[in-house]
This record gives sequence, structure tokens and C-alpha cells, in this order.
Amino acid sequence: MLAAVDSCTLAGLHVRRVEVQAHIANGEVKFLLVGMAATSVKEARERVRSAIKNSGLEFPGKRLTVNLAPAELRKEGSRLDLPIAVSIALARAGRTPAPNTAFLGELALDGAVRHVDGVLVAALGLRELGFERIFVPQANAAEAALVDGLVVTPCASLKAVVNHLLGIELIEPHSSTSPASDLYIEPPEHDLAEVHGQEEGRRALEIAAAGGHHLLLSGPPGAGKTMLARCLPGILPPLELEEALEVAQVRSLLGELSGDRPLSWARPFRAPHHGVSAAGLIGGGSGLAQPGEISRAAHGVLFLDELAEFQTPVLQALRQPLETGRVTITRSGGSVSYPARFTLVGATNPCPCGWAGDPVRSCRCTPGAIATYQRRLSGPLLDRIDLKVGVRRIKVETLASEPTGESSAPVRERVVAARARQLARQGCLNAQLKPARLRQLAGLEPASRRVLERWAEQRGLSARGFHRAWRVARTSADLDGAEQIAERHILEALGYRLQDVAA
Amino acid sequence: MAEQLAADLARAGVIVISGLALGIDAAAHRGALVVGGVTVAVMGTGVDIVYPAAHGKLAEEIVAAGGALVSQFPDGTAPRRHNFPARNWTMAALSEAVVVVEAAEGSGALITAEAALDLHKEVLAVPGSVFSPLSVGTHQLIRDGALLVQNARDVLAALGVTQEVLDDPLAPPKSLGIAPPSGRDGILAHLSDVLPLSAAEIARKLQLPVAEVLVRLTALELDGAVRRHHDGYVRALRSGQKRA
Repeated sequence: MLAAVDSCTLAGLHVRRVEVQAHIANGEVKFLLVGMAATSVKEARERVRSAIKNSGLEFPGKRLTVNLAPAELRKEGSRLDLPIAVSIALARAGRTPAPNTAFLGELALDGAVRHVDGVLVAALGLRELGFERIFVPQANAAEAALVDGLVVTPCASLKAVVNHLLGIELIEPHSSTSPASDLYIEPPEHDLAEVHGQEEGRRALEIAAAGGHHLLLSGPPGAGKTMLARCLPGILPPLELEEALEVAQVRSLLGELSGDRPLSWARPFRAPHHGVSAAGLIGGGSGLAQPGEISRAAHGVLFLDELAEFQTPVLQALRQPLETGRVTITRSGGSVSYPARFTLVGATNPCPCGWAGDPVRSCRCTPGAIATYQRRLSGPLLDRIDLKVGVRRIKVETLASEPTGESSAPVRERVVAARARQLARQGCLNAQLKPARLRQLAGLEPASRRVLERWAEQRGLSARGFHRAWRVARTSADLDGAEQIAERHILEALGYRLQDVAA
Repeated sequence: MAEQLAADLARAGVIVISGLALGIDAAAHRGALVVGGVTVAVMGTGVDIVYPAAHGKLAEEIVAAGGALVSQFPDGTAPRRHNFPARNWTMAALSEAVVVVEAAEGSGALITAEAALDLHKEVLAVPGSVFSPLSVGTHQLIRDGALLVQNARDVLAALGVTQEVLDDPLAPPKSLGIAPPSGRDGILAHLSDVLPLSAAEIARKLQLPVAEVLVRLTALELDGAVRRHHDGYVRALRSGQKRA
């Protein structure tokens, strides 16, 4: 008696089909599981045996062989429990499942089907592979139903699944949770109206939001750097469907999706502590790498407070993702690639004690210590940051009288308009323009070019820094609604290059 | 200020003595060197060890210009915290007059000033903004009777040098005091020489959007008329303009 059902295994966001074959033959009573199963899959034998028995089904008292094909592919995780149990049940009943149907789910010993991670990723991948119907744990049904053109059958227990397959009692498919039907956007947590003063920081934040530029805020403790950074998601437009799905996929892999509202339109905001390891930040783990903070922040904001306190290798690891918008991590189990297109907002003190340049408190650091501190940030990472501005501390007694600028809503409107101009012109944000396209799409008038070249010469700008200032000028022009970059846009862009100022 | 003062004094034939440290010390040496003057560095290490190491080139230039590196410590003495106050005493002893340009509370420059008083040398101090923590020490010195220094003439007078070498001895120093409120859009009039102002603060004073102020400030910065520090913008000194 032979039966085969389909399932899949995940390598990052990449889905590979796995065929689970069960063969019941005469011979010594034994349960063999073959086909390069990792420990977590081998354990399935015990769960499956108990689940079948406790579901009132009969476990074959014969020689049972389960093969996971293709055999050269390493399989991990508990999501193969359900397909293994189903293949055994079908082999016993001498039935074959409907074609183009896949199963995913972990079994409890009593036969209940438990939540597994990565169902959204699996569902999207299986649809690509031509599957039409998918059986998933009830807890994961909502996320699987986000995928259009896939019939999702929620599974509460093994017994219910087997009854459905044998035609005894059918399960209603989960209604599609079409993303378009849910347009509720949570209001942003922080509003710019709460920020007192800080006109320079606000303007830089607006430019960062409009052009997708990375931003570094420098200032003493308590100057409001964190507050400014937290306002950034609120002035960004809501996620596009494709972006929201990518964000949800990463969360799905990590098992962080909410059961009833799997898709969120809010831009992610991640603020890892400066003690984070390289693996925690960019992704890692044994076997196959799990997504790290930068992938959780994809299409949103990655806020690194106390940037100079992060370990140097951790900061160095940010270079590839900052440049390409994706991160590829190789571990013993293979290479995986995750999205990592985020807006980096860094915050740093001007010196180790934090008070250099403060109008009231004096700094206790030696010039050497300040230089070392600044140098830690310099070089390749700082070269990839488009905007660096100083943030000053506002005295508590004058805080109340400081003007509280605009609220986030009008700023977001300008940002959305500027982004629309960029997408219409070049199909991407200014920060992602390659130098060749920048020259072609954002030509400089002779006067503006001269200004930029003079600055580059005076400050010894690298070619990368030169292009970054150019891109920021393009964004400043886009916020103005201007076709052509004017001299004033270049001058403003250079005003956000605190990194060119000698310490 | 230190650089300007040292340059003017060196031009008048005064030998500028300082400590080869970062900041005011280096500015004083450089000011003297810019005008081809003679300057002496009194070191807190052995003369064979330049501290901070980044000043190796400066030390070479001092010697090349006919100045000297001197030290009371034997060769090979590494930088030690407790050696520097002694160095400050030597510095005072070698000088006819001591000018303190900037001194926060507890600054090493105050040790030099104290030494100068004990050694019956003239002590002078440069005032600063009353808001600046870096002028707390100099203001205390002035309160205690130090002569107030506004420009090189004040120092020359204290030294008893009557020879007038400055361009225009009666004009207020261009790099200090209140400059005429001219320049582009009055931004320069709102800037100070010593106390950095942020673009946001200037924007508020001028009632202009901060983006507009940044445009103008960057243009002035490109022309060398303002200088940007990590904590804001200041009006550039004359020597700064020359170097830019």
C-alpha cells in the first residue's frame, strides 16, 4: 500500500517542494523515516505515531517506510508532521489525495494540528509551484489566505483532516483574507507635533523620508534624537501591497504574525540595542540563517541609537545591505537571501561623555578621546549615510516656549507627493539611483555643478559622497516640485553633510 | 583667536611659547609659523617623544622655522598626567607674560597662570561669551586682576613694546567685537565669532525656513565667511579665511 502527499521545505524565502511517500509492507514491525531528515523531522515519528493512535485511527502494525523526496534536500522543522501522518492514513485507506494539494502542520500527541512558522512564505511559494489547495493549521489559516488563488483548508485536528479526505465530513475552506479588503492603518505612535524646536532635524527627517536617504543625528543626551527617529514611520506613506507581503513573510518566518490580522500596512520600526551581535542584526543562526533586525526593518526604519557603541564588525556587516537592499547569509545549511531595504537612522553623541558643544554643561573628554570616538563612525559606514545633522539640547525651562512645528500629517503629504514624482520619473527612490542614472535623470546646471565640485574639492569628498549629496539635492528639488536641480538645492544638501566638518 | 593673536605677536617679533598640545596650544604655534615667526614648544614629555603624536609635523615645522622644542624631562619620558602641571610652570618661567585664551574651570591653563603670578610675570586673559563654559576660567582671571586682551596690541603694551606693527592700531580688531552688520542677508550679523549657533536658531532669529538658512549658510561656508563646527556655525576668523 503506497500513498504520496505534497508538502514543502523553506530555505529563507525560497520554497522547495517535498513529496512525502508512505509505504506499508509486510515484514518486521518498524517505522522508518528516510530522506535526509534533520533531528526536528526525525522526532516526527513519535508525534505522528501518538497522534494517529489518539485520533482513533489505526497505526499500521507492519513495516512502514516514509520517504521524504527529493532525498538530497535537507528537511527541517515540524511542518512535515501533518503530511507524514496524512500519507500514512491514505496509504492505509488505499486512497490518493486530490492533485496540486499540499499539507503543512505540526501535530500534538492528541492529534491536534499546531501552529508552524513560515506558512505565508510556504503558501506564496507553493502557489508559484502550481499548487491550488493547501491544508494548514487553523492558527495559520488567515496568513495563508492572504495568497490569492489558493484554496486554504484550516486544519484543527488530524482526525478532521482524514475525515475530510475520506469524504466523511468536509471542512469549509477559509475565506480569502484579501489584502485589499482591510485598509485600516494604525495611527502612528509618535507625531512630529510633539517635537519642540529642532527645525534642522525635522527638515532632514522630511528629506530622508521623501528620498529614502539614510540619516545620522548627532547631539548630546536628551536632545530628542530618539523622538525624531520614532517620528519617521509616521511621515512615510503606508506600505504598498508587495512591500506589506514581504514584511509579513519575514514576520511569518519568525512566527510573529498575528492570527487574525496578518497583514499590516504600518512601516516597521526596529531599534536593536547596541549590544546586538552581527548575527542578530543582519541575520544568522545554525543551519539556515534566520532573518535579523535589518530584515525585520525592511521597507521601514532601522534605528541604531548610540551608533558609536555598536561593535565595529556589526557596523561593517551593514555595508552590503545598505548598498543593495538585500542581505545574503551563508551558513552550513546553505545560503539564504532576505529583503533589507530599510532607512537607517543613526543617533550618536558628539563625544564619549556626550556633552561636547553643549551650551551649558562642559565636556570632560580629551580631544584624543573625541577623535577616537568620531573615527569609529567614520569611513565606510559614514560614507553611506546621506544626511548628518546636529541636534541641540533644549533647556527644560524653555521647552514649553519652543515652537512646536507642524504635525506629521502635512509633512507626510509632501513626502508622498515627492515620492510619487520620483517613482513616475525613475521607478525608484532617489537614494537608490545608480550614478549613471543620476547623471542621466538629474543633470546639474553648470552653476550648481560648480558649487558641488568646489565643496568636494574643499572637503575631499569621495565619489560616493559626491553622488550622495547630489541625490539629496534631487530630493530637495522633488520636495519643491522642481524639475531641475537648482543651486539652492545643492547648497541645502551640503548643509546636511556634518560628516565633512573637521572635528 | 589664539592663532590670530600669535600671528600678530610673532609679526611684532615676539616669541610665542606654548605647550604643543591640542587646541589652543597648536593654534598658537601655527599662528606664529604662518607669519614666519619663532615659536617654542615646552613639552611635558622627553623632547624625543612628541605628544600628541599627531603633532609630529607641527614639531618639525617649529624647529625648521628657527624655534625650539624644549623639555625639563629626560629623553624617553612618556606622557604622564602628573608631568604636565610641572611643564606649565616651566612654560610660565620661560615667558615674560602669559596670555590665557580659553580656560574652563580646572583647566591646565590656570595652572600656568598661577605659576606666572608666583613668578611675578604678567598674566593676561582673553574674555569670551558669558555663556561659554570655556571662558569661565579667563573671566575669573580678569576678575582677579589679569589684564584684558582684546588684540595683540594689548599684549604688546603689557610687554612694554611700543613699536606698532599692526595694520591699523586704532581700528577695533576685525576678528573680535561687533562687526558691522553687513554681508549676505544679515546672516553674518547674527553669527558670533566664538559661540556656535545652529541653523535652527539662526532661522528663528531671521524668521526664515531652516532650509533657506542652510542654503545661505552653505554658500557663506563655501566662500570661507562662516565656519561650521559640530555644534553650529560661527563667523570665520581672518586667518581661517586665508587657509580655506
